[in-house]
Amino acid sequence: MIGLKSTLNVIDNSGAILIECVNVLKQKVNNGWGSVGDEIVCVVKSARPVTAAAAASAVAVKVRRGDVRRAVIVRTRKAVRRPDGRLIRFDDNAAVLLNNKREMLGTRIGGVVSADLRMKGWGKLISIAPKII
Amino acid sequence: MLPRAFRGTARLFSTERLAYPFSSKITTPDPPYESPPESLYHGKGLMEHLHKTLPTPEKQELLATLFSHKHPDRIRPGSVLRVKMEHAPTSFAGVLLAVRRRGVDTSFVLRNIVEGTGVEMQFFANSPHLKEIKVIRDHTGKRGGRSVRRAKLYYLRNSPEKMTAFASGVTD
Repeated sequence: MIGLKSTLNVIDNSGAILIECVNVLKQKVNNGWGSVGDEIVCVVKSARPVTAAAAASAVAVKVRRGDVRRAVIVRTRKAVRRPDGRLIRFDDNAAVLLNNKREMLGTRIGGVVSADLRMKGWGKLISIAPKII
Repeated sequence: MLPRAFRGTARLFSTERLAYPFSSKITTPDPPYESPPESLYHGKGLMEHLHKTLPTPEKQELLATLFSHKHPDRIRPGSVLRVKMEHAPTSFAGVLLAVRRRGVDTSFVLRNIVEGTGVEMQFFANSPHLKEIKVIRDHTGKRGGRSVRRAKLYYLRNSPEKMTAFASGVTD
């Protein structure tokens, strides 16, 4: 249940550490809730410092504090139901940053992600994830 | 009155043991289907009937042993279980935090720390997708686990050190 003002940990190597949700894209209203596999618009609240050399290189996109980006939710503290009735709940809310075309900004994911992403069409993300539960 | 010579032989001549007493190879057909009593159609005793008929015999056995209140082999909170399922992830292991006994709706919650993040999964015992439940570590101190004094171990969510004491080195 991620909504306005919810904070999520970022688990890829795009440079951001903590993001704050601003809008949940699947809902047509402003007070909707997002769950695993939903795309959100977020503001980067804290990010890893970007050195000048890294900023100059075009290999990886590094985000800065205050950037407005998109992200996909990969873990939620609120329990999510699987088709066979199982419930799965994580200890934190986590997301992976995206660009406007639903592609990942970072290149690696560090941490466990929920398998519900596959059902929502994020197969490419799942293939990079180190552990899927 | 039977003649005196035949007094004690009534049991020998009884036909109650075999339907066809002259051969043991003759099998009887299954008893005819008895439709449920009329009161069941009106809703009397419906949940009791469902509790008896809805789970398969294997699941009923599971409910009667692992999830009963007094069986010696019941699973107790604090033990470490491994669950095998049909859908992804096919195997999940963790500390049993809680057992919710509701007959057909019986479920249990396992908690494990995966890649630094705590993950809790609630499994429903009667689900056909649940293939196997295996106890890796028992809850008592004798077989390598810690003893607990609670039915629901939700306090483990806030203390990672107690969590490692329960589930150190347990992987899927």
